[in-house]
Amino acid sequence: MSSTTINRSPISKPKSLLAKISQVSLPWRITLGYLTIMLLLPVAALLAKASTEKPSDFWRIATTPVALSTYEITFVTALVAALINGVFGVLVAWVLVRYDFPFKRFIDAAIDLPFALPTAVAGLTLATVYSENGWIGSLLAPLGIKVAFTRLGVGMAMIFITLPFVVRTLQPVLQEMEKDIEEAAWSLGASHWQTFWRVILPPLVPALLTGVALGFARAVGEYGSVVIVASNIPFKDLIASVLIIQRLEQYDYSGATVIGTVLLAISLLILLVINLLQAWGKKYET
Amino acid sequence: MWKFGVDPIPNKMAGRALKRWISWCLTAVILSVAIAACNIVNGRDRVELTLVSFAVTRAAYEQIIPKFTQAWEQQHQQIVEIAQSYSGSGAQTRAVIDGLDADVVDLSLALDVKKIEKAGLIQPGWEKEAPNGAIAHQSVAALVTREGNPKNIKTWEDLTRDGVKLITANPKTSGGARWNFLALWGSITQTGGNEDKALEFTTQVFKNAPVLPRDARESSDVFFNQEQGDVLINYENEVILAGLRGEKLPYTVPEVNISIQNPIAVVDKNVDKHRNREVAEAFVQFLFTPEAQREFAKVGFRPVDPTVAKEVTAQYPPIKTLFTAKDLGGWDKIQKQFFADEAIFDRIQSAIGKS
Amino acid sequence: MKPKTATEEKVWVKLVLIGGAIAYLALVLFLPALNVFLQAFKFGLGAFFHHLTEPAFLSAARLTVIIALIVVPINTVFGLCAAWVIARNQFPGRTLLISILDIPFAVSPVVTGLMIVLLYGLNGWFGRFLEAVNIKIVFALPAMIFASAFITMPFIAREVIPVLEEAGTDQEEAAKTLGATDWQIFWSVTLPTIRWGLLYGLILTNARVMGEFGAVSVVSGNIIGKTQTLPLFVEDAYKAYESQAAFSASVVLAGLALVTLVLKEIVERKTQIKDVE
Repeated sequence: MSSTTINRSPISKPKSLLAKISQVSLPWRITLGYLTIMLLLPVAALLAKASTEKPSDFWRIATTPVALSTYEITFVTALVAALINGVFGVLVAWVLVRYDFPFKRFIDAAIDLPFALPTAVAGLTLATVYSENGWIGSLLAPLGIKVAFTRLGVGMAMIFITLPFVVRTLQPVLQEMEKDIEEAAWSLGASHWQTFWRVILPPLVPALLTGVALGFARAVGEYGSVVIVASNIPFKDLIASVLIIQRLEQYDYSGATVIGTVLLAISLLILLVINLLQAWGKKYET
Repeated sequence: MWKFGVDPIPNKMAGRALKRWISWCLTAVILSVAIAACNIVNGRDRVELTLVSFAVTRAAYEQIIPKFTQAWEQQHQQIVEIAQSYSGSGAQTRAVIDGLDADVVDLSLALDVKKIEKAGLIQPGWEKEAPNGAIAHQSVAALVTREGNPKNIKTWEDLTRDGVKLITANPKTSGGARWNFLALWGSITQTGGNEDKALEFTTQVFKNAPVLPRDARESSDVFFNQEQGDVLINYENEVILAGLRGEKLPYTVPEVNISIQNPIAVVDKNVDKHRNREVAEAFVQFLFTPEAQREFAKVGFRPVDPTVAKEVTAQYPPIKTLFTAKDLGGWDKIQKQFFADEAIFDRIQSAIGKS
Repeated sequence: MKPKTATEEKVWVKLVLIGGAIAYLALVLFLPALNVFLQAFKFGLGAFFHHLTEPAFLSAARLTVIIALIVVPINTVFGLCAAWVIARNQFPGRTLLISILDIPFAVSPVVTGLMIVLLYGLNGWFGRFLEAVNIKIVFALPAMIFASAFITMPFIAREVIPVLEEAGTDQEEAAKTLGATDWQIFWSVTLPTIRWGLLYGLILTNARVMGEFGAVSVVSGNIIGKTQTLPLFVEDAYKAYESQAAFSASVVLAGLALVTLVLKEIVERKTQIKDVE
C-alpha cells in the first residue's frame, strides 16, 4: 500500500522540490477534482439555469415584495439563532470537555440528535412541545409568548438544528488545549472572568467562528423543520427555502432557481467575509 | 515556492493512486446504477408497474392493488408488481416531468396532468382514454369543527366571522387547498355574486387563517394534534379517513360546494419504454369497476360508478349546488387568475401579511 | 492557601456552568427529543417492534445504510485531502477555496436537489445522454448518493482544519527529517493529532447523511421499497396517519445515525490505554 511514496521517483537531483510537489499533488488533485465534479458542476447548472432569465426578469423575480421579506426573515432569524448557539455552545462544549458529572456520556451523545432526527420529525416535535398546550409552550402562554407558528418558532427550529455545530467544532480544540495555561493563570491570581477572556477564549475564536458560520449557513438553508413550526404566511414567518419549494411544486423552475441563486450568493458572501475575518485575525495574531 | 493549481511535473505514483481512487468511485456509481437498472426488466411471467399518486389515495390503493394483481395473475398467468409513490400532487408532477418512471399517475389536479402532457410524456386526449373523463374518484370540501361545534360553524359565510380561526393548507403548495380556495370563491360566484365580492370574501376568510400548513395532512395535524383553530377545511374523504383512524370530530359539508375531481392517466412515454402498456391500461380500467369503486368509497371518496354511488349514498350529506372547475372557467384560466405569481391569491396574502 | 480558594471557587462555578448548560439543552433539545421517544413507545414495546418488521421500513433502513456506507468513506478521503491542502499550504485564493468548500452549507438542501435534477434530470444537461444509454441517475440511488455527498462534503474538512492549524507542523517535519514516508507520517503523526476532529467530522457526516430529507426528497421519487430512505419513510408514514410508525422509525434512525458515537467511544478507550503506556 505504499505506492504513493516518493522514494521511487526516477529523477533524483532536484529531489527535495520534486518530493514536495509529488507529496502535494495527490491531495490537491483529489480536492480539486472532487470539488469540480460534485460541487462546482451542480452549482454551475443552477447558475446557468438562473441566467436563462433576462437580467430584468431576474431582478423582478428576485425582488418581489414576498421574496424580499423572506430574505429578511431568513437571514436575520438565522443570524440570531447562530449567535445564541454561539454563546451557549461555548458553555456546553466547555462543560462536556472539562467537567465530569452523571450522564455526561449520554448528554454528549444526545448533542447529535438534531442531525439524526429527520428534520420533519424535529419540526413536528418542536411544534408539539412549544405549541400553546405543549410542555414548554403552556408555560410561556401565560406570559403572552407564542412560539409555535410564529417567527419565534422559526428561530427555535433553527437553534435546534444548528445546535451541534458550535459544540462539535469547539470540542476537539478544547480537548487539545493545554489545561496548564489556565491553571497557571489561576495560580497567578487571575480571576475566572479574566482567565476566560484572556486565556481561554482567544484560542477558541477560530473554531467558534467556524461553528457559528456553519450553523448560520445551515439555518439559512433549513427547510424540513421550519415548514412545520412556522405558519408560512408571507411577511410574517415565510422563509426563503419554503418559498423555493412552493415555486418548485408549481414547476416554476426559473422562480425557484432565481431565489435559490440569491440565497446562495448572500450566504456565500457572508461565509466569505467570516473566512476573511478569520484569516485576518490569524495574521494579526502571529 | 509553487503556486495554486500549478503542477508542472506529473507524478506517476500519485497519478496511479488517483486513478485507482477514481475507478473505485466509478465502480461504486456503476454498481449502484446497475442495482437501480435491474428494476426495469419486464419479462413474460413478471411485469412491473409504477403508480405515482398524490398522498390521500394511499389508503384506497392499499386495498385495490392486491385485488388487481390477483385478478391479473388469474387471467394472464403473469405476476404484476406495483411500485407506489405517494407525495404532494405538485411534487409528483415535477418528479414525473424530470424523469420519475411513473406508468400511471393519479393526481389532485387536472392541471398537473396537463403539465405532464405539455412535457410530452402523456399524449393529448388522455381524458378520453378512461371512463368518466378519466376521473376515478371525487370528493367535496368539508368543514371540521371542534367537539359540539362551539362556534356554530355551518356555512362558508361563517368563516368570515370575527374570532373564528380557520386552518387550511397553503394553496401554493397543496392541490387540496386549491380546491378549498376554489370552493370559497365559487360559493360567491356560483350563487350570483360578482368577482369583487368573491375577492372580498376570500380575503376576509384568509384573514382568519393564522397558519397555512404545507399540505392537507399537516393542516389536519395542526388542527387535531396541536389543537389550533376552530375549523378546518379539508377534503371530505380526508375527514372521513381521519375519522376511521380515530380522529372523530363533527364536520359539515356546505350545501354550495365544489366537486373535487382527481384525474388519472397512463404515462404514454414511460409505458412504451417499459413495455407494460397493456397492464397499465388494465389497471386504470380496473379502478372504474364496482369492486375498486367500493374500496374508494370505504376510505371516504365519492364513487363515480352510479351503482356503487347508490349503495353508499347514505354515507354522504347531499349537496344542493355542486359546481366544477369547468364552471370557474377551466384549469388554465384558474391557474392564471388565482395561483400564478402576483395573481389573486398572492394579492390576498400580501394584503393580509402587511396589515 | 491560594490553590484551595481557587478549587473551592471552581466547584461553585462548575455547578453553575453545568446547570446552565443542562437547562439550555433541556429546553432546546431534550424535551423535544423526549417527546419523540414517548410518541414512539406510546403503545408499548410490542407496537414499536411491530412497526419495525414492515417490509417498507426494512427496505428504507437498508437503503439508508447503503447510502451512508458509500458516502461517508468517499467524503472522508476528500475531507482529509481538502483539510490538508487548506491547513498546510498558503496560497493565493485560500480563503476563496475555504468559502467554496462551504457552499454546501450555504445551499438550501432543497436547492441541492434542484441542482442535481438540473444536471441529470430528463430535461437536464445530461438528461438526453443518460436516457440514450439507459442509465438512471435521478430518482434512483446515484442521485441520492450525489445529493447526500454534496450536503456533507465540508464536514470533515471543516472539523479537521482547526485542529491541524492548532497542532502546527513541527512534529511532521521532525518525522520527515527522520526519514519517515508520507504514509508513515500520516498514520503515526498526523492522524493521531487530528483524530478528535476527524471523529467529530465522521459523526456529523454520518448523522447528516442518514437524516437528510430535503435534498433527497427532491431527487428520490419516493417509491416505496425502492427509493425510499428512512427520513422519507418517516414522512410517508406520518402522512398516511401512521404517526406511531413514523416516530418508531425516527427512533431507529436516531440510533443508526449515532453509530459513530460507539466508534468514538472505542477510540477513546484505546487511546487512553495508549496514553497510560
